Amino acid sequence: MNVHLELKNVSKAILRKVNNTRVKIQILSNLDLQVQKGELVTVMGASGSGKTTLLRLINRLSEIDSGIILLNGKDIRDYDPMELRRKVGMVFQVPVVFKGSVRDNLAFGMRLWGDDMDLEALALEAAIPGNLLDADAGQLSVGEKQRVCIARALANRPEVLLLDEPTSSLDAVSAEKVETLLLRLGRERNLTMLWVTHEREQALRISGRILTLKDGRLEEYHA
Amino acid sequence: MPEILALALTVLLVVLTAAYARRFGIGKEISLAGTRALIQVLILASIILLLFKLPIYWSALVLIAMAAIAGHTTYSRSGKLEGSLPPAIFSIASASALLLVPFFLLGIFPFEPRYVVPTGSILIGNAMNVSSLAIDRYRGEIKNRRAEVEAYLALGANPELAVSACLKQGILSSLIPSIDNMKNLGLVWIPGVMTGMLLSGADPIEAASIQIVIFAAIVAAGFIASSLLLHYSTDSFFTKAAQLREDLD
Repeated sequence: MNVHLELKNVSKAILRKVNNTRVKIQILSNLDLQVQKGELVTVMGASGSGKTTLLRLINRLSEIDSGIILLNGKDIRDYDPMELRRKVGMVFQVPVVFKGSVRDNLAFGMRLWGDDMDLEALALEAAIPGNLLDADAGQLSVGEKQRVCIARALANRPEVLLLDEPTSSLDAVSAEKVETLLLRLGRERNLTMLWVTHEREQALRISGRILTLKDGRLEEYHA
Repeated sequence: MPEILALALTVLLVVLTAAYARRFGIGKEISLAGTRALIQVLILASIILLLFKLPIYWSALVLIAMAAIAGHTTYSRSGKLEGSLPPAIFSIASASALLLVPFFLLGIFPFEPRYVVPTGSILIGNAMNVSSLAIDRYRGEIKNRRAEVEAYLALGANPELAVSACLKQGILSSLIPSIDNMKNLGLVWIPGVMTGMLLSGADPIEAASIQIVIFAAIVAAGFIASSLLLHYSTDSFFTKAAQLREDLD
């Protein structure tokens, strides 16, 4: 057993606006999760069940109210937040590309961390055609943008990849391409992946361990 | 005698405008604003009259007080963003001071309260306007571009880098009125200082020279103040763990 990521007793309430007043809603309650190195875990759940919040807690875009999250056995609060986010990459539901070319986007991590990387090889790995490298990233289709975001996250050489419904804003053809791409990259790079989806069919297709998020806790899914 | 007539005309104009404005339901506001303005300006005149007779450091104290009030106004405009009051006061005060000093070092104006207070107040007032516009836009940009800012953070970028495009937009938007005013200087309007000098009998070339240098100083002070403010208030939008605060909406 090689536990890579562990959540113990994690609780989180979020503020939601109801009739112009902010109401605190308990979204995760004493949640536990163990993910092995290189494991693919799929988390299913209805809209508003806290799937996105769960991922945001792991790379510290949001803060837990109580409990503890361990990465490689170390409390994530003991990592520098920027360093943690380098190790724990995230792909969002709606792809956000930065101003500039595809190459500029892919080189972001390289510039940030002073790494050297073969961008052509990275683009090829993420199924981005070479002739798109110098194209304006803002002009790409949503599917292409999502592939750029995946490659940009991979350029950081993360250990863990958090996927927040990465195909839900794409059309069926693009969604299939991105899904296949993510599964292949996960295998090739031995990534620990937490894949959030609201689609039962997708969760079953992806295979791996399937969990459902209900009433603030994770349960094993039984078909 | 002209001052009595000017005040009488002011009262008459306020009363007439307020009477007309009643049709639009804003008569009360006009009369209140007019009365307030009249009283405030008379108090100001009395203070300036007093300052002219006091040592120069009293003028400095008055300018510091003005900068503090200006900073508070800008802070309110930021939505009372936690921790942004000191940067607001500091930015406005330091930018105005920086641009005020050359006027006296170069001997453009004599170092006397008569020149220090009005010039300082013009710089502070404008630095405040530009800073308020800048912080308001900066906050709006961060709020509207939350997804983009968090995409940067998620890649390991620090908050300064994550909001750099928002900061640039905030500064640019705040300077548009100053840049437009500078472009149209003398074409669409004769600005305040030049008008005042011409009315008091100054030579038009001298009035124009003083006006342009004051205008350049105003733009520079606004630019410096807004840049400093946005730079130093960036931390207020984030938690210590470099998380974009959730209560910005």
